[in-house]
Amino acid sequence: MPLVAAVAASHAPNILLEPGVEWEDFMDLHFSMAPQGTSSRPTFEQQQKLRRDAEEAFGILRAELQRANPNVLIVVANDQFVNFFNNVIPTFFVTLADEVKGQFTRHKFHYKNHKALGRAILDAGIEKGFDLAFGDHIELQHTQTVPLYFLLREPTIPILPIYVNTWMDPIPTPRRCYQLGELIRAVADASSERVAILATGGLSHYPGTSRVGEIDTEFDHKLLQTLREGRGRALADYTKEQLWQAGDSEFLNWIVALGAVGDAKASSTFYLPDLVATGWGFVSWKL
Amino acid sequence: MSRYYLSRFLYDLKMNDGMLQKALVNLDAAMADYDLTEEEKEALRAGDPRCLREFGVHGMISLYLKRLDPKFQNNIYWSQK
Repeated sequence: MPLVAAVAASHAPNILLEPGVEWEDFMDLHFSMAPQGTSSRPTFEQQQKLRRDAEEAFGILRAELQRANPNVLIVVANDQFVNFFNNVIPTFFVTLADEVKGQFTRHKFHYKNHKALGRAILDAGIEKGFDLAFGDHIELQHTQTVPLYFLLREPTIPILPIYVNTWMDPIPTPRRCYQLGELIRAVADASSERVAILATGGLSHYPGTSRVGEIDTEFDHKLLQTLREGRGRALADYTKEQLWQAGDSEFLNWIVALGAVGDAKASSTFYLPDLVATGWGFVSWKL
Repeated sequence: MSRYYLSRFLYDLKMNDGMLQKALVNLDAAMADYDLTEEEKEALRAGDPRCLREFGVHGMISLYLKRLDPKFQNNIYWSQK
């Protein structure tokens, strides 16, 4: 079967935190990293509207996924010092676990992992000179659980977490991430499974830096316009420095999905700057 | 400079509840388990994660120093990873 569906979504924790006390906690903490110690804070009503709008966007993506009836969902995300740390930072990592679990506040997640598809991607990569790291255990974190809460809350199909190092320099080039997506597409097309792919992260934000609170909305709008035009291939020409500068290093996860969808046009795009730190983006492609 | 050990201390505040509890009770005793310079220990005692940037620690691991700040101990952020 070919790749049957592709979506991409931000994974910012406040998408899933409850408006009110939980958002205030989140903002208190993140603005403690900003040079001024504070910044603009959305009101409770603004927080509620952002949550509603995000749920609506996720609803469109979920409908696209369900229509495609996949039987495995590849989840391309970055680790944020949960599974990997300064001991070893893999540039790319494929999960070979039997099952994967994680927790986000009171929400628990437990999925079967599609080990066979992971192994097929590893083997195909090795044949093509693309040697990926792998391992038998990972813990899911918000980079996966936030979108999964809205897109695959019930573990009706297995997932396959794939990690991209988007945070610890040296990060991979956009070109290399695009090539990983092409590799995944080739494996999906040769597989008997109906494969869907979800890329998470972004869009513009500057986590943990002195630029917390800035969002390069102009850059993000340009990215989304390029996706609507089906020119995602051109984004592989970006330099790492351009992505860093725009606060869009996590867009590398999305570029993996772009390599998988090729020249398909994004059919739905949503952009919601959260008034805190992150330009939330949500996209689906018609394949 | 020992970016690894300083980062490791902060990573353990995130991932190792036993170490977190030890640090909450006695920060100096917890720091003694790590190969930290006096300068790094002073930065940790100061409690401001922004000051850790100059040691080359990633900002989002520095953030976990806030787990030791009484104002942030019950922050919802710590209940997810």
